[in-house]
Formats: sequence, structure tokens, C-alpha cells
Amino acid sequence: MVNDRLRDIGEFVPSADDDMIICRCEEITKGEIRKAVHDGMFTLTEIRRYLRCGMGLCQGQTCSKHVKNIVAKELGISPAELEPATSRVPMRPIEMRIFANEAKEVRSDE
Amino acid sequence: MKRYDLIIVGAGPSGLSAAIEAAKRGMNVIVFDENERPGGQLFKQIHKFFGSKEHKAKVRGFVIGKQLLDEAAETGVKVILNATVIGLYQDKEIVVKIGEAVEHYKGNSIIIATGAAENMVTFPGWTLPGVIGAGAAQTMMNIHGVKPGSKILMLGSGNVGLVVGFQLLQCGCEIAALVDAAPRIGGYGVHAAKLARTGVPFYLSHTIVEAEGDACVTGVTIAEIDSSFNFIPGTEKHFDVDTICMAVGLSPMSQLLKMAGCKMEDNPKRGGQVPICDEYGRTSIPGIFVAGDVSGIEEASSAMIEGRMAGIAAAEYLGYIDENELNKELASLDKALSGLRQGMFAPENRGRLIEKTDEGIAVSDSLLKKGYVADDEIERFPGFTHTKGIHPVMECTQNIPCNPCQDACPKGCIKIGKDITALPAVDDSVSCIGCGMCVASCSGQAIFLVDETYEEGYASITMPYEFFPLPEIGIKGKALGRDGQIVCEAEVINVKSLPAFDKTNLLTIKVPVEYASKARFFKAE
Repeated sequence: MVNDRLRDIGEFVPSADDDMIICRCEEITKGEIRKAVHDGMFTLTEIRRYLRCGMGLCQGQTCSKHVKNIVAKELGISPAELEPATSRVPMRPIEMRIFANEAKEVRSDE
Repeated sequence: MKRYDLIIVGAGPSGLSAAIEAAKRGMNVIVFDENERPGGQLFKQIHKFFGSKEHKAKVRGFVIGKQLLDEAAETGVKVILNATVIGLYQDKEIVVKIGEAVEHYKGNSIIIATGAAENMVTFPGWTLPGVIGAGAAQTMMNIHGVKPGSKILMLGSGNVGLVVGFQLLQCGCEIAALVDAAPRIGGYGVHAAKLARTGVPFYLSHTIVEAEGDACVTGVTIAEIDSSFNFIPGTEKHFDVDTICMAVGLSPMSQLLKMAGCKMEDNPKRGGQVPICDEYGRTSIPGIFVAGDVSGIEEASSAMIEGRMAGIAAAEYLGYIDENELNKELASLDKALSGLRQGMFAPENRGRLIEKTDEGIAVSDSLLKKGYVADDEIERFPGFTHTKGIHPVMECTQNIPCNPCQDACPKGCIKIGKDITALPAVDDSVSCIGCGMCVASCSGQAIFLVDETYEEGYASITMPYEFFPLPEIGIKGKALGRDGQIVCEAEVINVKSLPAFDKTNLLTIKVPVEYASKARFFKAE
């Protein structure tokens, strides 16, 4: 039902707080998230790939609940019906040069 | 790749407790924490904890943190700091960023004790500098010694909002308003009363309309909301503040568990995405355990017990103890944990309006809406008595799991009884010697010593006082009521600061006898 793309969710109706930033790290506004739903992004994973919200420094620690609520409201469903986005490595932001740098030997503090 | 019996992610109260129990049973334990200091949030907690004597009640949070670290060191637990776990893979493989490289570890068992992150609410201006979380305020004040702002609006009346609000006052900040969208104060009444008696106004059923300012917060507007969370026009109130502090709940940081493939659920009662687990922290994957806020938001005292449970359960999983020992150990921890989960603030009572105490006394309505027990309500509670001479007056009016006052009195004046959540009552047959141990022992700062026959026409009132500068004997000022309003003139007649009081000073003031039941705070002129 959540993923039924034929479901009519109505037209995008602009709102006064559309320019309020929701994802601070990637500077994504409430209006952009709402519009994305009307562009056909019905799941949090799609929203994340489409807008990059929740993919910045804090990895969605602050905004994921907000994004979930905004998307749910736009779809007219309960936030609990939305699958959370996938959790994957790296769980915390990390520089690529470190990510690629496997420690050569076991720590010597044993 | 190095292998350990047990790898714990998170060196907070639950992670350290788990590590200690496992190491005590002979397990080889390593704890990773991404922070530069261990202890999680414990070292930010400068207030005395609630609970029973056995569970470190009336001990300040940071002291509990030190005790845990000492115990961990004694039992041979290895804590690696600045170590960020970036992934938990199949077969309990953990990838950790340490320094400039990533390292791989295997655990025969794993305990995830990553805790929680603060929630935020959005409103126009919420991204302005000056809008901070309550945790940030605590980090600034209590770890780094930095004042977060000078005039502050606190959003959230749960225990975090109330406790951090009081710490902001101690730090020298002014709290312009304490605001909550809920119709009733969410945290302990005694915590609210500490703020209210200093004059902090509470605005329930209110929330933030917008924060003002270009480069940083310069003001805030709040308004009342109706039952469907819509602003009621005409109820706007404006405050000139430089800081907005948010204490609007926590969300479990459970992503590692989800990645590992543990069964998860969205459970608003536990704070959001949490692993499905049994009461001892066993997740759907054998050998992966959870403890503390990551499995459902509670507080540090229960997190420590949950940690001990998970540590013991892990020891049994790997065969370090047998099932008999497991059951024996868990039974006593079960009892302790259920003790902490009793009373009006028990998890199952969350959001419910409780009208009567267990003793059948009507709960103070004013306490839930304004943060203080009204003068015409206080007389009905068992801790509030009038006896000749000096005696304790206990303004503890809600059933919360806490009883240090009972043991504090060397004469046995105070009775709570077997039920830890019962309201304290005064035993009139025993005479009070005015030592003040009960006043200093009360984590809620709700006990006063009153002597209505101090001298002709005057009463003396001894109150807990945790502010600087400490008033000197002879200083005159105003006595404030429970509502923070001036009730009468007052003079400081004694100040006691004993090591046994653990930094809670006892301030005694003299007021005209007719105000003996009203004066509860002192403000120097």
C-alpha cells in the first residue's frame, strides 16, 4: 500500500514553511522533501538517494525522524508504516583515505 | 584479526557495567568508544541520582562514572577511546576507525551499548546559532566550563529539561521560560519545584513559533497550542533570549544492530527504532546483546542494571557461567530493575494522567501545570507536618523510586517503608536533632527543616542550597515562595557545608512565623 505508485496523493500544495531547512548537513528544505514525494519518491531510501538528505556529516542523526514524518504526512500514512533507510558502513563519516587504510598489524598494546 | 570473548560498543554506564560483569567472570573484554573520554553522559551529570542506597542514590552522576571506571580498570577491562565503530558485519566482525586506520576485530559475543542521540524540533530559525540541545548545554557547562548563554528558553519539561534547566541556573544563566507542548510537566515534580521556587515560569501546552535573529538567536516567540497541536492565535508571547535549549527526547542509536541484521521494530514507547530483544538484552542474533538507551530510552540507573544483565547473559552464552548461576544473578538484578521502574513515572505510565498517589492523596494539579505545589495543596501530603521545635518538612508528593532520606536520619524520623515509591512520612514519636542530613540526602531538594518556635514571632527554615556565591550569615534578603514570588523579608542565620552533605549547602533563614509554611528559597538583596 505504501509502495503503490498509482495511489493518488494529490497535487503538491506550497506551504509557508517550505523553505525551512530540515537536513542541515545537506541543506535540504521541507519543500524539497515534500516535492520529492510528489515526484514519486515514496520510500525513505528513494528520498535519500534523490535529495541526499541524511547522507551528510551527521548521517541523518538529527533529520531522519523529521524526514520520515514529512514524507508520511505527504503520503497520508503513519510514520511507522515507512521502512527506515538502510543502515550500512561507514556508520560514521570517515575520510576515504582512512577508510581505505587497513591497519597493517594488530595493536601492540596487548 | 584480533579475537575477543566480548566486544562492547560504547563506554557509557551500560557498556562499562556490562564489561565489568563479563570481565569478573573471566572473559576477555574490549570496549570501544568514539569519544575522547569514557563514561558516556555520566560525567555531565553533576546532580545527585535518585533510587535506593544499593543503587547509588544520592551519589552525583560523575562520581558514579569514576566508580565505574575504577571498577572496570580493576577487573581488567580494556577501554579504547577515540575508536569509532563504523560497521558490524556477519559473524560478529567489527570494523573500528582508530587514528588514521581501520582495524578489524572478531567477538565471540557482542554487546551494543551505543546509547541515544538527542531529538530536535523544527521551527523557523531552528538552525540559527544559539539553538542547542540540552546535551550540548551540559557538555559546555559541566565538561568544558563554558556558559552556554545568558538568557535561555528551555523547551521540554521532562527530567532532562528540568535537570539541565537547574544546572543552567547554577551556571549563572537566566531561564526566561520553561516551555512544553504537553499539557503537563513530564519530569519529576521535585525537579520542577527546584526551578519554580527560583522564579522560572512554566508554559505548558505551548511551543515555539519561531526563533528570531539574523546571525544568531536574539529572541523567541512561543504560543499556546490546542489539543491538535495548532497554534491558538492571540496567545503569542515573546522573550528576548540568546539561547534556545531543546530537551525534547532521545532516539536510540541502533543503526549498528540494523546493519548486523537484528530484528528491529519502530516502537515510539522506547524512543524509535529499537532491536527486538528479551529483558536481558538478547537480540534475535545469538551472541549479540544490547543494553541501555539503544534498546529503549530510560535513564542511567536502569542502564547500569541492564548493562550488568547483558554482561552476565554474555558470560552464560559463552559458557563462563552455567544456567543456575545465570538465573541466580539475574533474579537479584530483576528485582533492582523493577524497583526503578515503579511508581508514577514507570514506563507503562508514560503520558498517563495519574490523579491519586498510592496513598490515595490527590496529586497536586499546580505541580503538574506550574511546577510547584500550591500553598493550599501542600498540607495534605504526609511529609508536611507541624511539630513543636525543629522538624523535617518533606515536600515529596509523587510516588517515585527513591529512598535515601529514610536512611539519612540518624534518629529514624523519616519513614518510607518497604515500598521504595511510597511518600516519605514523619514519625512524630522521634525527635529531630536538626542535623540536616535528610535535607542534603534528598536528590530532589524537597526536604526542609522548619522550626516554627525559633524565636518570638519568627521561624527558621533550613533549605538545600547549591548556588554560588553562598550567602553569608547576617545577609538580608527576600524569602521566595514555592512559586518563586517574594513572600517576606528574610535573614540568613546559618550556613552549613559539611563533607557529609556532598556539596549541598544548608542555608538557614529567619522569617516571620506566619510565613513558615510558605518561604522556600532565599534571594539576597
